[in-house]
Amino acid sequence: MSTIHTVLPLIVVLPLLGAFSSPILDLISRKLKEAWILAISAGTLGVTGYVFYYVFKNGPLLYTMGATNPFGHANFPIRIVWEIDMFNALMALTVAFVSLMAIIYSVEYMKRDTGLEKYYPLILILELGMLGIVVTGDLFNFYVFLEIMSIASYALVAFRNDTWEGIEAGVKYMMVGALASSFILLGIALLYGQYGTLTMAYIAYKMAGHMTTTAKVALALLMAGLLFKSGSVPVHMWLADAHPAAPSSVSAMLSGLVIKAGGIYILARILFSIYGPSINVRTVGWIVIIFACLTLIVGNAMAVVQTDMKRLLAYSSVGQMGYILLGVGIGLAAYGSNVGNLALAGAIYHTVNHALMKALLFLIAGAVIHALGTRNLNDLSGIAKTMPVTSFAFIIGAAAIIGMPPLNGFASKWILYESSALFNPVIGAIAIIGTAFCTAAYVRVIYTFFGRPNSLTMKAKDPGKSMLIPIIILTVAIIVMGLFPWTINKDFMLPAAKALVNQMGYIHTLFAGGV
Amino acid sequence: MIPFQYITSFLLIFIGVYALIYKRNLIKLILALDIIDSGVNLLLISEGYRIAGNLPGTAPIYTGYETLKGVPMVGPLPQALVLTAIVIGVSVTALAVSLAINAYRHYGSLDIRKMRRLRG
Amino acid sequence: MRGQRPSTGREMEVDMGLIVKTMARVTIPFIGIFGAYIVMHGHLTPGGGFQGGSTLAGAGILFLVAFGLKEAEKKVNKKVYSALEGVGGLVFLGAALLGFSVAFFYNTLWHNGPFFNGKPGTLLSAGFLPIMNLAVGLKVFSGFVAVAVSIAAFRRWRG
Repeated sequence: MSTIHTVLPLIVVLPLLGAFSSPILDLISRKLKEAWILAISAGTLGVTGYVFYYVFKNGPLLYTMGATNPFGHANFPIRIVWEIDMFNALMALTVAFVSLMAIIYSVEYMKRDTGLEKYYPLILILELGMLGIVVTGDLFNFYVFLEIMSIASYALVAFRNDTWEGIEAGVKYMMVGALASSFILLGIALLYGQYGTLTMAYIAYKMAGHMTTTAKVALALLMAGLLFKSGSVPVHMWLADAHPAAPSSVSAMLSGLVIKAGGIYILARILFSIYGPSINVRTVGWIVIIFACLTLIVGNAMAVVQTDMKRLLAYSSVGQMGYILLGVGIGLAAYGSNVGNLALAGAIYHTVNHALMKALLFLIAGAVIHALGTRNLNDLSGIAKTMPVTSFAFIIGAAAIIGMPPLNGFASKWILYESSALFNPVIGAIAIIGTAFCTAAYVRVIYTFFGRPNSLTMKAKDPGKSMLIPIIILTVAIIVMGLFPWTINKDFMLPAAKALVNQMGYIHTLFAGGV
Repeated sequence: MIPFQYITSFLLIFIGVYALIYKRNLIKLILALDIIDSGVNLLLISEGYRIAGNLPGTAPIYTGYETLKGVPMVGPLPQALVLTAIVIGVSVTALAVSLAINAYRHYGSLDIRKMRRLRG
Repeated sequence: MRGQRPSTGREMEVDMGLIVKTMARVTIPFIGIFGAYIVMHGHLTPGGGFQGGSTLAGAGILFLVAFGLKEAEKKVNKKVYSALEGVGGLVFLGAALLGFSVAFFYNTLWHNGPFFNGKPGTLLSAGFLPIMNLAVGLKVFSGFVAVAVSIAAFRRWRG
């Protein structure tokens, strides 16, 4: 029994406490509730930071619900476990950090809205769902957290229910999301029927050398559901509708975190930690790569033709998800080789970077909407004159997402180009074509920002403190992460990729016992 | 020989997916989602079914009686899972119905073909 | 169509007449008792917090349908109900945290608690499970009633 085991469950306890106590505090005072929510969120960030530090120093961690070890009197794991290695810890830290930024931002951004007694619990529940997904080591536990996250995000997308946009986007998102969730549950049910357990590591253990058709069908269903949830191309339409319709602070969380924690993270976990070498890695890897190539071309190309700023950012998210998927696909197709590990490290690096960049860009879009009341790019001409700080932050974010050298996006994209070119030159070329589209889209926005001011933009001004602070923090984070790209890659991203590929290690962590 | 409850559950899932693709009324779509959920739940719960000899399994509640008589218990885990899945399904349905009401307010219709204002 | 009145959008606001109201007045207490029984015996018999809570909420919904929205809104304050739901969640969380020194969700009441540690099969057994069932029952009941009343109240824009 050590400190880490006392602290670890707080990852889930703190947001739950905040969400449950917020309606009670609401009866007392609104200011108190906001301070309480901020404190809860900051505390969660502290906890994930400590867990990350611990895992970085001491290696993977196992936590058992309700007892000291997962076995009880049986000789196989019967309890719900949480398994945390470098990859999970990194994701958890990102989730908590960006969520805190979004919550600080909402204090001012949502001031004029009604229904805040629902907004703050929902946003904490969204954070809770994502944190739960990234820490859990149990398939059904994962499904529960996935649904917690999804239901909170459906409700948040439709939060502005006095506009038709929110409702229409909410309905579309909900139909697609619920269907995807059913596929995922069906996959989990098939896996449970086949192997009689839900602990991910134990399924992996039983699956090695005992691969059946049912398990392959389950993989197909899980992949279909998770590609739905991560907005991969044939089924990306909901993303471009849902993400712009939400309030901007929520858009930042949806685009920056939800599609990653609820899509890519768990897809990678299932592909590598559960199935791993038991399947034909080349075939499955190539399937993922084909989806990734489609996603990154279509997403980035669609971003170019948008006139709505948030819609442009949402399509750009689709495109960037393509890069991350590409890294995962190459990592699987070249399983265990150096190229594969490099590609996976690039994918993880880009996941973290994209969470920061896209959160920043959506928060800026929110600031612009807050000041001007419009998000049509044609009306935003010349905004750089009246909103200098915001525009500067936008340039940093856009340059990072394009992949300009001194910023963090460059490092992750470079690793992805390099590994894809090493794996197959054609894919490398496709990745670079995607970036060309991406550049075109963002240069257009920057060009608009620096154009001739019109009567509307002359009256705009930079937002207040609570909106500006998260924007500045995220900008600084992007710049600082850009200063040490290779150190970060070597110390954090490559170990995370190796932890993901190391299926034996994942199984061993389970059998080595708990607290 | 595939047990018939598996066939039933997959039939339910196919009916739900069919309705989700071909029906246009929002309420029918919500019902389709519920049917899919029921199919998956049926599959899960039938995986936990146990039979020993010709004695069917009893409810997995420990009171000492079952162990005395040698009656098998059905698997408790799938029941817990299905209960959780039902709870989740209820909350999804409640949210979907409230969205449908709001959609009716804005569009004056529950036809999803009319909800096509978001484009591009 | 004969016999079908056009919808006025106000059906939920009026009650359903004397016969239904009388029957509801008689049945609601029984539904309530049955729901409370399911919640309290959740650790002994089939059922538990969610099932009992939904049964209890069934009584609330019967009240809403039989007596109409106006009467129901007098009894149901949505803010209080959402606070009650929060209380249910907090109690559940607190019960899970009782055995925090060993592990989250560790059933310390059962292993070395002062009460709820009787023989399996008796009412005062199973550690934190009865507490959790009560908390979940409260949460589900208040949540469902709040949802039903809100959805009924939604229709009023048309009138």
